[in-house]
Amino acid sequence: MFKPVALGATPLLLTGCTGALSTLDPAGPRAANLATLWWVMLYGSALLFALVIALFAMAYLRPAWVARITPVQWIVGGGLVLPIPILILLTGTALVLGEQLLPRGDAPLRFGAHAERWQWNFTYPDGREMSDDVLHIPAGQPIDVAVSSADVIHSFWVPRLGGKIDAIPGHENLIRLEADEPGTYWGQCAEYCGPGHDSMWFRIEAHTDEDFTALMEGGQ
Amino acid sequence: MSQTPSPIGLHKQLDAIWRTPPGLARLSSVNHTILGKRFMALALLFFAIGGLLSMLIRAQLATPNSAFLGPDIYNQIFTMHGTVMMFLFAIPMFEGFAIYMLPKLLGARDLAFPRLTAYGFWCYLFGGSILIIAMLAGVAPNGGWFMYTPLSSKPYTPGINADVWLLGITFVEISAVTAAIELFVTILKMRAPGMALTRMPLFAWYMLVTAGMMIIGFPPLILGSILLEMERAFHLPFFDPTRGGDPLLWQHLFWLFGHPEVYIIFLPAAGALSTIIPVFAQRPILGYRAIIAAIVAMAFLSFGLWVHHMFTVGIPHLALAFFSAASALVAIPTAVQIFAWIGTLASGKPRWDIPMLYVFGFFAVFVCGGLTGVMLAMVPFNTQAHDSYFVVAHLHYVLVGGFVFPMLAAIYYWLPHISGRQSLYRLSIPAFWLILIGFNLTFFLMHLTGLMGMPRRISTYPSNWGWDWLNLLSSVGGFILTMGFALVLADMVLQFRFGARFRRDPWQAGTLEWATATPPPSYNFAAIPHMDTRADQLRPARIGPTLAGGDGYLGFARNGEQETLAVDMMSGDAEQLIVLPRRSYLPLWTAMATASFFLALLFKLYWLAPFGALATLVLFLCWPIGLGSKSDRGPIDIGRGLAVPPDVEAPDNVTVLANRTALVMNGTLFASLLFGGLFLLVVAPNWQGSSAPTLPLWAGALAVVASLSAAGASAMAARRPGSVLPLRAGLVAAIALQVLALTLLALSMGALGDPTGHARQAVPFVTLGYAALHCGLGAIMAAHALWRHAQGYVSARRRTELVLARLWNGYAGGVVVLALGLVALLGLNGVAP
Amino acid sequence: MPLVRLVAGFVIWSAGFVVLYAVQALGCAYGWGDWHRPVLIGLYLLALAPLSWLAIPARAGAEEGPLHFAALWANRAALLAAVLIFMPVTFASLCV
Ligand code: HEM
Ligand SMILES: [Cu+2]
Ligand SMILES: [Cu+2]
Repeated sequence: MFKPVALGATPLLLTGCTGALSTLDPAGPRAANLATLWWVMLYGSALLFALVIALFAMAYLRPAWVARITPVQWIVGGGLVLPIPILILLTGTALVLGEQLLPRGDAPLRFGAHAERWQWNFTYPDGREMSDDVLHIPAGQPIDVAVSSADVIHSFWVPRLGGKIDAIPGHENLIRLEADEPGTYWGQCAEYCGPGHDSMWFRIEAHTDEDFTALMEGGQ
Repeated sequence: MSQTPSPIGLHKQLDAIWRTPPGLARLSSVNHTILGKRFMALALLFFAIGGLLSMLIRAQLATPNSAFLGPDIYNQIFTMHGTVMMFLFAIPMFEGFAIYMLPKLLGARDLAFPRLTAYGFWCYLFGGSILIIAMLAGVAPNGGWFMYTPLSSKPYTPGINADVWLLGITFVEISAVTAAIELFVTILKMRAPGMALTRMPLFAWYMLVTAGMMIIGFPPLILGSILLEMERAFHLPFFDPTRGGDPLLWQHLFWLFGHPEVYIIFLPAAGALSTIIPVFAQRPILGYRAIIAAIVAMAFLSFGLWVHHMFTVGIPHLALAFFSAASALVAIPTAVQIFAWIGTLASGKPRWDIPMLYVFGFFAVFVCGGLTGVMLAMVPFNTQAHDSYFVVAHLHYVLVGGFVFPMLAAIYYWLPHISGRQSLYRLSIPAFWLILIGFNLTFFLMHLTGLMGMPRRISTYPSNWGWDWLNLLSSVGGFILTMGFALVLADMVLQFRFGARFRRDPWQAGTLEWATATPPPSYNFAAIPHMDTRADQLRPARIGPTLAGGDGYLGFARNGEQETLAVDMMSGDAEQLIVLPRRSYLPLWTAMATASFFLALLFKLYWLAPFGALATLVLFLCWPIGLGSKSDRGPIDIGRGLAVPPDVEAPDNVTVLANRTALVMNGTLFASLLFGGLFLLVVAPNWQGSSAPTLPLWAGALAVVASLSAAGASAMAARRPGSVLPLRAGLVAAIALQVLALTLLALSMGALGDPTGHARQAVPFVTLGYAALHCGLGAIMAAHALWRHAQGYVSARRRTELVLARLWNGYAGGVVVLALGLVALLGLNGVAP
Repeated sequence: MPLVRLVAGFVIWSAGFVVLYAVQALGCAYGWGDWHRPVLIGLYLLALAPLSWLAIPARAGAEEGPLHFAALWANRAALLAAVLIFMPVTFASLCV
């Protein structure tokens, strides 16, 4: 189960939330959207959490401050008026964002990612196999990856470029990704698939347009 | 009953009737107090096992490139950790809690079907043991606690591991099924007179809704397990995409159970909170009616969330949007409850005590888990966080916050009821802080680990992704957490040894369970009280001695029978006198027979399995022997100047209600099967060009006619219970017709074509098999009624057996119609998209 | 029966949920094209009708009691749930 990947070459970033697999260190517009959504939700949640704990604390420490709130105010205020607008706003935003992230409209280049325990086989848009277990894509433009599986369920996840999509035998799923800059982006299998699951990494190499065109033509 | 005995004398008389003798005879106990304690003790043992496994997980993940456990062992361990915690700890724990508590809260002397409680316990013990023994033998399940196919299918898990999960868990599930039916019926029918539905303590409302959810929620999982085991054992394709199955069907069936399951675990804990918080706030709960509305909303909404576990499987955005919105909205009824609890504290005179410490822990942890839950409900964010350690963090915040912390509060609150002694306090406070700090250290950091890209269920990781420190700290936290739990355990043991005794009601509670002596006597209440107010605003310390003196309903021992009352479902007016069955070894024997069935399947001794099933059936048929009455007794005195008929003479008794409930459950299973067939037809790959199932039309049509006529015949018998001839003729006709229908359905199954070739044959095969089975059951129920009638247990007023025969035969008729409808649909040319 | 009233709204909500989810899947599988969304919106409105009726308080003189209050609010919750949860039929992508 030896994986021919140069682990030592990956950037060694321990500080903050950066890291070669970090969703909080986005390297493309899609992943950046998702990270923004996360930060917004984090701050909102922190506020709500503080509110609940503060109210609980006041019931004991400053009973006079909250004793006058009536039962109806507690239930209608806390249970309905507070959460309903927040939830509608959040869910609405997330759905609109979700629509924008869908792989549809004018179809960009479509690559293939075929999972097989415990490795990934990638293909160019013209169907040619990539020889080196690395998915080569152009940077600076959205691309689609058609994800499929030969055996059990796997999941294709490149955290710095976008979310994940499952590779399910009998089905083919599409995911749209985009890298801002040329470079190396790590990915991994996110759905448990047996004893080799923990070493099912892969790499995406994003190239400049010229380099990518050369790669495409070089193989022909 | 002219001269009332002294309280002690009454206690002796009643105890002689209700007690379980010591020694081996304990195995025959059917008493809810004893069985509730057994359920909880065993669940805590499994909690310890699951906790031990989690320590192994954390030890393995503490450092990168760890060589402590290899992937093969690690996979078994995390699968067993999840499985043990969900199926062998959480569910049985609240079941045991409810079994122990409900009759005492409601004012009954036992649950509706004491022997069923015992049977459920044995199924739980035996099924759980199968899993643990398999783990010790090194062949534990290793497909993760949700057992996704095809990984758990034969080609990828050729060993026995997956069978252990499917069969062991299904065996344990029997106890959930029996508990659900029993609790549902008990809450609706067996309350103290005067306790209208709207006077029930909230815990009873929570358990009523929980039981209802279990009735609808468990069948999909049971069906899924049966189908997957059939695919593994007999090659019938349901999930194999190459033969018209679909791995996604498993995910739908599993999560259709799996998400409501989380709420099934949370609601009883919330019920405990709704009981404890008012006691320490020293005022009644705020928003009783709003909370009822909230838990109903929560129960239903929680069935519309299951696909949020499947946001990344490639489902169209509109469908995801339904589930995303429902997942977000379920936060509203949760918020209603949270603010009702805080409001109760704020508008009362809150005092601190150990249980409140853990209630505080609940607020701090569960609210966090709820907030991350809303985050995960947002599809775009979910595509990043799904299957990462963020989810592991979220699910532990919800489960530990929403179940373990409330249960700890409940242990500190109610353990004195079990032990008769008060808590010692010295260990409980440090234990709490260790648990709170350890928990947050372990799991808060996992949010970060997950966002930094660590997927769940990996046995090791290299050191270059930046996860090392987070994991090390998580592991340290895990061990602090375990020390906290160890202290709680020590505290419990010490309380039993050294706690100070008390008389009644140590917390000035408002609910009826504290009106019993502590530890509670075998019969709970020497007399059953009448309720004039809502049953969470009582004065147990005052009621208790009155009841012990026999002042109330049934405040006497009569004929050596175990008597308790049934009431009208809504109003709570006394309605029937229930005579409960005595202790018996039958539940144990029946559970052993059931175990032989499951073990035969597990060890692939397929010739033996039918004998196990037959033995179980025969033993079950022995259960009614000697129960019931051979003469009409008419209204019987129950004290306080009231007389009510015995339950066998009442048209709507607990047995009928339980069978109706069981049929609803069974119907949900069948509905899941129909859904599965249609799902495969519409969604599964490789249906184009598959050959249609062939069914001899005459056989199908005749089976429908026969089964529906059987339903009609048994209904006729039930309508004329007084006249012997039509009754017997109707039942005999029902038996003959159902046997005919069964034969025809079996013939059709043979004619379908090879069921192992394609799902298009396999689905009709099992659907017809299910219908045939129910024709057989209809015949058996009719035969049972005939037999009871011959023995003299059935009369114009005592006609429960006839009603049961009518219900089951009617159900069989409906099933045959729908089953053949599905087969016909799958047989149409060109239906596959 | 007040217990029936207590769950009535959400039973209707559940039925609506199942039907909409099924129609969404059927429409994609069998390629309903331009008809798909109008059918879904029609069903959405259809589900709202009985729910709105249940959400109106019973006329004066009808039974009152704690359970009726709980039932009224449970039914209102069901209406809100239907309005919001089914709303995506008006805009979300049907088959992608
Ligand atoms: C005692 C403290 C606990 C610790 C330290 C702990 C730790 C863990 C860890 C590290 C995992 C992730 C394993 C992996 O993905 O490789 C996990 C999974 C899980 N835990 Fe716990 N856990 C604890 C208590 C609980 C409790 C109380 C419950 C439920 C009531 C629970 C239910 C689960 C479930 C369902 C999984 C998922 C298993 C799977 O992926 O198949 N855990 N736990
Ligand atoms: Cu994989
Ligand atoms: Cu869920």
